[in-house]
Amino acid sequence: MGLAPYLIISMILFILGIVVMMARKNIIAILLGIELILNASALNFVAYSRFLTNNIDGHIFSLFIIVVAAAEAAVGLAIVIRFFQVRKSIHIDEAVWLNDEV
Amino acid sequence: MEYTIFTILPIFLLPFLAFVLGSFIVKRSEKLAMAISTVSIFVSFLFSAKIFSDFIFSQFSKDYYIHKYFNWFDLSSQGLEFSVDLGIYIDNMAAVMLLMVTGVATLIHVFSIWYMADDKKYGKFFVYLSLFTSAMIGLVLSDNLLSLFIFWEIMGFCSYSLIGFYHEKEKAGEASLKAFMTTRVGDVIFLLGIVAIWGVIGTVNYVDIYSAIANGVFEGKMVLGISLATFAGFCIFAGTVGKSAQFPLQVWLPDAMMGPTPCSALIHAATMVAAGVYLSLRMYPLMELGGITPFIACVGGLTAFGAATIALVQTDLKAVLAYSTISQLGYMVLGVGVGAYNAAFMHLITHAIFKACLFLSAGSVIHSLHDHQTHDHVQEMPRMGGLKTKLPLTFLAMMACTLAISGVPLFSGFVSKDRILGDALYMAMTNKVYWVAYLLGALGAGLTAFYMFRMMFLTFFGAPRDEDVYKHCHKESLKWNRNVPLLLLSIFTLGIFFSGSPSGQGIVKFGGEKYEWFKVLMVKPIPKNFTTYSKEKLSTQDNRDKILWPKSSYESHDYGLNEEDEHRLHTAHIISAIASVVIASIGILIAFLMYIRQSFSSERIISRAAKFYKILVNKYYMDHFYIKIVIRRGLLKFNRLLANFDLGIYDRYAIDGWEHISRYCYRIADFFDRYAVDKIGVDGFGFVIKDVLNKGLRFLLAGKVQFYFIVLFLVLAFYMFRISTA
Amino acid sequence: MFLTVLFFLSATLTIASGIMVVVVRNLMHSCMALLGCFIGVAGLYVTLGANFIAAVQFMVYVGGVIILMLFAIMLTGNKPEEKVGSFLLPAMGNRRTLTWGLITALVFFLSVGKILLGMFGIGLGKKTAPTDPSLFESTVDEIGTLLLTDHVLAFEMSSVLLLGALIGAAIIARPETSKEK
Repeated sequence: MGLAPYLIISMILFILGIVVMMARKNIIAILLGIELILNASALNFVAYSRFLTNNIDGHIFSLFIIVVAAAEAAVGLAIVIRFFQVRKSIHIDEAVWLNDEV
Repeated sequence: MEYTIFTILPIFLLPFLAFVLGSFIVKRSEKLAMAISTVSIFVSFLFSAKIFSDFIFSQFSKDYYIHKYFNWFDLSSQGLEFSVDLGIYIDNMAAVMLLMVTGVATLIHVFSIWYMADDKKYGKFFVYLSLFTSAMIGLVLSDNLLSLFIFWEIMGFCSYSLIGFYHEKEKAGEASLKAFMTTRVGDVIFLLGIVAIWGVIGTVNYVDIYSAIANGVFEGKMVLGISLATFAGFCIFAGTVGKSAQFPLQVWLPDAMMGPTPCSALIHAATMVAAGVYLSLRMYPLMELGGITPFIACVGGLTAFGAATIALVQTDLKAVLAYSTISQLGYMVLGVGVGAYNAAFMHLITHAIFKACLFLSAGSVIHSLHDHQTHDHVQEMPRMGGLKTKLPLTFLAMMACTLAISGVPLFSGFVSKDRILGDALYMAMTNKVYWVAYLLGALGAGLTAFYMFRMMFLTFFGAPRDEDVYKHCHKESLKWNRNVPLLLLSIFTLGIFFSGSPSGQGIVKFGGEKYEWFKVLMVKPIPKNFTTYSKEKLSTQDNRDKILWPKSSYESHDYGLNEEDEHRLHTAHIISAIASVVIASIGILIAFLMYIRQSFSSERIISRAAKFYKILVNKYYMDHFYIKIVIRRGLLKFNRLLANFDLGIYDRYAIDGWEHISRYCYRIADFFDRYAVDKIGVDGFGFVIKDVLNKGLRFLLAGKVQFYFIVLFLVLAFYMFRISTA
Repeated sequence: MFLTVLFFLSATLTIASGIMVVVVRNLMHSCMALLGCFIGVAGLYVTLGANFIAAVQFMVYVGGVIILMLFAIMLTGNKPEEKVGSFLLPAMGNRRTLTWGLITALVFFLSVGKILLGMFGIGLGKKTAPTDPSLFESTVDEIGTLLLTDHVLAFEMSSVLLLGALIGAAIIARPETSKEK
């Protein structure tokens, strides 16, 4: 296998993530999309590490991406739950308190 | 003992920390504040006792001292020197003073535990006591006038808050204000003296001042047309006058008895008033150089006599003691004035002990007498009488102190007071001015004996004059916190602790010269000994030269007098001692005849000399003079004059004129404001912001997260596109 | 041979379940599809010789994040129309958002595709042989050494980050008790 299939898979995952973030109005669904995007970039790092460089710094990098993604998921979901307690809904358009039109 | 930061500073810091800690926890637990305060002063007493034993029990020679300093702040830069050192200076005098202050304060704390027990501000009182004591300790440890002044003022504040402790009583509030303001008069002049010294010799360190005197720095220096030494000496003496309640400024001290009795004991005996005399003793070489000692002696004599006469007619138990304090302070100042340095200091110590005991005893008496109509304690002597059987232990302590203060041989008051009077007589033989001081002092001694015994007879002897009060007085039993402090203090009223000869003059002696430790060790500072001196940094190590600690020699001491003078001094002392004994016995005898035998009644004498009696009751119209004439006629008029100037001239022309100018300016500015700024600037901007920016920004920043996403990704895509084509 | 088979399986799983994530209407099902997608990515890691990363991917995502997501979904959605899209479109979305998403995706696809084409143009895409096969025999001790030597600062900081996220999540998600009364 060459580098190209991995990059293409990664691109597809990334674009799918964008579509999820854009098209859905559920906050948890948006978080799902973010996870997809993070996975795509991590996959890219490992692929480059395998094919282009002579070391495994790419592995380290994707490891840290996973760590940050885990932290982000935890805090993000906590915020979602809190948001749900306050607003009784997890619709993204509910989160517009800064706008005085609500 | 090693004198390091760990052994000297706790003496001051423990009570101070007790104050800091106590002021935080006093709301939570009054008992804990009390315990902290008492224990800390006791520990600091132990430290001082160690220093005392080092200094006095022949460890060091008589002019040995410990001088440690640290840099308080240093603003020197580029050749300009300005740095201030503070430090600790302990010599024999400071060592004795420390022991006295901490010892008496400890006993007063212990007594207060009993006295204040049912007071609702129990803990707060101890917090104040701690601050007061720590300030006095700091004052004693200070090596310079500046830090002395700082502690001096802290004590001023403490006396204010302690005298006004029951500030819900109007009289107490007024008394505290009076004490504060009266001493302030002296303090301002004192501060002027400090500034004068600093300005001229550049330092206010005691030792530096001594060596400046020896090096003749003061010679030829003039301030306001008089020589610097006279000016500075006078100013510093004014501080003493204020704090030690000498003649023109004595009015605050009698009112100071409005505070609780233990705090009166602390103010009158161990701390506040002693500080003034201590300062005079410290600055004695300066006053001698300035040549104001005859003046000091006369002020002292006048105070001693005048206060004694007022005390004759007082009916309040504490008022008698207050006037006797002023009178005894007069003796100390008289001693300073006649150069009886050692005797004046001895009187300071002996007086502190017996006066503390007298006040505590008075507290013990007052606390046991209740008036059931007003629910107050009884202080008036005409309502007492016959308490000897009810309060035998208090009577014992108070009697010992009364004997001491009256100058009965074998007691401490006799030793110290008659050495002062002897020196005064000796000085009178050479300088006529001192006759005034001596005669006033000697007469005052007789009056002292009379009024003190009058107080004793009225309180403890005879038939009870107010049956109701007498009946409700409980018979006292020995209590650790009531009688033990009194009895301990009364033991030290014996003269043997201070001098080997019961007369104090060396006429009758027993024991060796060692018993004369006070006379040998407390010597006048001789300025030329201080030209070469060394001080060291306050640190955790003691770097003194330990080989150079010669032991004191008790064997030979001469006072720099030739044989003829010595003979005259001896004669003077003998005459004065005999005179004192005679005068004191006459005083006691008259009191005995008047109040026990009732051979002649006091009412008759009062009616005979009604005019004089009225003057005395009104305290020589001093309060009247100050309030009616100085304040009402003088200061208030001056105040009104200033007010007139302020309202009439400054307000009318400066302020109103300015108003006219600004009114014109205002009209021009108003026009500009209304048209240029409001119409064009403000409304124009308002239009732009409201109708243009507002709507656009609202659309962009509506808080829709996904709109942000779109913008974000499109911008990202744009960048990537640019990179790929570049 | 095994790796080739694994690659094709994983790639198919990844892309298929990725598309499922987008199109499935029920959020719970969408989450399950995401699980499959993660497993596929883990398989891809194995084909890249990154065994350790694959294991971590399994543990963190499959074992942790997805569970967290499921919990969050179950704790929040009390109305059926919040889990299932009200129209034909998934999870509360509507036509407008879907259109915008597709437009953005298209723009992205074009710009990323342009970059990728540029890369393949200079022959990077055909690069197949690993530069040093022995390097990828066992990555665990290598990663461990690197983490505690070169990247130790990032390692420690990420530990602090995780701690902060833990505490923060606990504090944020705590329900508001009777403090206000």
